[in-house]
Amino acid sequence: MLDWKLILEVIGMLIYATFMGFIFMGIERKAMARIQRRVGPPIYQPIIDTLKLLGKKESVTHGFIYDFGPVFALGASIAALLFIPLAGFRLFSANADLIVVAYLLEVPMLGIMLGAMSSGNPYSAVGVQRGLLTMVAMQLPYGLALIAIIQHWGTFKLNELVSLQQAHGWSILVPALFVAMIVFDIVFQAMLGLEPFDIITAPAEISMGPMVEYGGKHAALLFTQHAVQLFAETAFFVVLFLGGASNLLELLIKQIAVLFIAIFVASIYPRFTIDQAAKFFWKWPTILGIIAVLLTM
Amino acid sequence: MINELLIIIFAPLIAGVIAWALDIKGVREAVGLIGAAIPLAYLAKLYSTVLNEAVNYSVTVSGFTLQFQLNTMSWYFAAVASLVGLAMALGMASTSKSSYDWLFALMSYTGVLGVFLSQDFVGFFLLWEMMTFASFMMVIRRNKHESLKYFVLSVIGAYAMLIAIGILYAKTGALDFATIRQALYIDASLGAISTAETALIFGLFLTAFGVKAGAVPLHVWAPGAYSETDQSYTAFFSGALSKAGAYGFLLLYILMGYKLYAALGTFHGHLTFAYIIAWIGAITVVVAGFLAVLQEDIRKLFAYSSVSQVGYILLAFGLGSSLGFAGGLFHVLSHAVFKGLFWLVTAAIILQTGKTQFKDMGGLAEKMPFTFAMGLIAVLSLAGIPPLAGFASKWLIYEAAISAHMPLVAGAIFLGSGIAFAYVVRFLYAVWFGQRPSDLEDVKEAPLPLLIAMAILAIPNLLFGVAPGIVTKYLNRMLGGDIVGGDYYKLVTPTGTYNALLVTIALTIGLAIAGLVYLYGAKVRKIKVTNTYQSGNPVTEEFNLSIRKNFYRPLAEALEFWLKYSWDRFYERLAGIAEDFADSLRQSFYNGNVQSYSWYLAIVLLILALWGVL
Repeated sequence: MLDWKLILEVIGMLIYATFMGFIFMGIERKAMARIQRRVGPPIYQPIIDTLKLLGKKESVTHGFIYDFGPVFALGASIAALLFIPLAGFRLFSANADLIVVAYLLEVPMLGIMLGAMSSGNPYSAVGVQRGLLTMVAMQLPYGLALIAIIQHWGTFKLNELVSLQQAHGWSILVPALFVAMIVFDIVFQAMLGLEPFDIITAPAEISMGPMVEYGGKHAALLFTQHAVQLFAETAFFVVLFLGGASNLLELLIKQIAVLFIAIFVASIYPRFTIDQAAKFFWKWPTILGIIAVLLTM
Repeated sequence: MINELLIIIFAPLIAGVIAWALDIKGVREAVGLIGAAIPLAYLAKLYSTVLNEAVNYSVTVSGFTLQFQLNTMSWYFAAVASLVGLAMALGMASTSKSSYDWLFALMSYTGVLGVFLSQDFVGFFLLWEMMTFASFMMVIRRNKHESLKYFVLSVIGAYAMLIAIGILYAKTGALDFATIRQALYIDASLGAISTAETALIFGLFLTAFGVKAGAVPLHVWAPGAYSETDQSYTAFFSGALSKAGAYGFLLLYILMGYKLYAALGTFHGHLTFAYIIAWIGAITVVVAGFLAVLQEDIRKLFAYSSVSQVGYILLAFGLGSSLGFAGGLFHVLSHAVFKGLFWLVTAAIILQTGKTQFKDMGGLAEKMPFTFAMGLIAVLSLAGIPPLAGFASKWLIYEAAISAHMPLVAGAIFLGSGIAFAYVVRFLYAVWFGQRPSDLEDVKEAPLPLLIAMAILAIPNLLFGVAPGIVTKYLNRMLGGDIVGGDYYKLVTPTGTYNALLVTIALTIGLAIAGLVYLYGAKVRKIKVTNTYQSGNPVTEEFNLSIRKNFYRPLAEALEFWLKYSWDRFYERLAGIAEDFADSLRQSFYNGNVQSYSWYLAIVLLILALWGVL
């Protein structure tokens, strides 16, 4: 009694999401380049990069967990993707709600951290420390934004959120949820690892942080993971605030709109230090989040 | 024929006494193990009976009737405690070399079971005291200062409870739960007990159970007491004994819930007294979580983490909705199994390395692979990674908190779980990964009994994670209603769903795909930890590559303002003032001057004269 239609949808969606995720990464690089008056790489450049990394003749490892970390991260990203309703493709989304997806989207971080720590590199360790502190800091406003949504719509189920928004208008048209959206958008910048919250990788300061030791196929796995994660997170944003989508094109347009806001913010802001980021998150986004939550009560 | 309930309660104590009296190596371990296993066996045997009707037993001792009852709720708590108790006994077989430890560890086991099974305040209080005393005796052997801190706070809690029981007895004339419950229920409409008195009783019970549960600001004993004892025992201490506090809060609902509602009313649509409990829980979660992140000692870290996790339980109970109770009760189980596992892992590390500070450890994953795997399961469960037991229970608490319209309390859980992520990773990094100090080269895997104990606690973490329905079905039965729907693998609440099995499958699919990509890539070559990137410089063994101290320094800096205030220092200062006062009292009254003693006599005579006695 295998559900072949579902299996085909899952396979098709995974391929599509990975491909589009890479394209999003390409768009990010291209847009950044144009903002700085450069031509930039072609839009499919991240795919070439990943294939090149996969083609390396030899990889080095620091032990089992070092290998397991990136695999676990990609696996968790794929799992998170399968529970988000993507346009007409509902996949497994009836079986897990907002809290589960929000958690699954954080699990890859643990995978990356796990692998990075086992390399024993001090730069990785600093990256891990910064990553976790960013997470601790952003968790409160993030949670408040989610709570505001749940309280307004009265459901945890992502499918219902989509249909409610299609019936009553998008979340951001509700004033309280617009405030929540601002909060979420600030947190989103940190979730995507973009400036001003790219404290985790911080290429100029700590040489890519957690990823410093990774090369070859491990790096290829992490690139793929980033692509899937990018797709899943933008889709999550669309589902929560922009009313989901009825077809893939609509979804794509909304995802790119979300992505562009993130890119524009990222390209003009310098990086926070970690303690500044913590203090920032606990000040303005938290205050706005509390306002949003109280307005939806 | 001795009653089964008595066997369940007193088997560990008797075994403990025998083990202590015989004190023969090998025999005391065997006796202790049997004593610890008996309650679990009997509880398993009585499982189907309890589902249909409660098992009662009462005995009259020196004029008091002690009533014991095994109902669905007490069975649940007792089963959790005895599971952890068995794991503790197995762990102690490896880590403890003294019969003293066996006696008191098993005595506190009896105390905990007795607290859960008692149906009247006489038995409840007696066994509560036995539990406190035995755990105190475990701590005093290693550290006097910490044990006294624990003892004084426990005594404050216990006597607060005694006063509350006294007031209840004076008002209702009864000591057994059923009658008190009945009397208070009727009194809710009569109002014979005034609001102030009700609030006083509530406050006294809150102190009593708050101390045991480690609620902020009464948590200060926990870090010291949890760390300064045999770590196998701590698995029980923090896994099961702290649940006595949580159980107390439930008892508060059962006994006085309606009366408290009638007396204290509601606050913005929430029960006032429950709202207080919920906020105590939320504050505990956050404060203890932040303190756990900043610790430099493996035992202190887990001690604060335990306090923080018990905060979740209080928070869930404070929500006052049946979904909240289901979440809290589930977390009782999952906290017991993952925190028990954590302490056993800690016991193994300390047994094999003899070190407790993070700065002395590192790179142990290769030396103790099985212990590491068990530690990883505990980490994933505590951090709430689906599909493990810790996630299922936290998920229920999230649902309950948001559905109960307590958004700020729910925000505290979000923050708390972020912090939990941070401190478990600290543990992973400092102990298992990175460069290994040269004095840890000949560390071996933990001994077999300890490994079995870990496995006993790891299995429920996985089983109840993938099939949380097993627990929620039982909880539905206990709470009387279809609170959490779904089947064995799927949880359904009125507003959300979580299908644990499907999440497991999705995660497996994901891992399989990622694994295929990994296998497709080139061969790997293993290199040493020191063969690493150091800004392009060569690295030798002499370099210390791992960050072992002050890992979360930036957080400490961001929290600088808050860290200036400490409950620990406040209590120390209070104790200092009391001591000084006692000293000055002694010096000014008992001053050795005969004339001043005659003056006291004269003053007393004067008072009597003024009173008109003379």
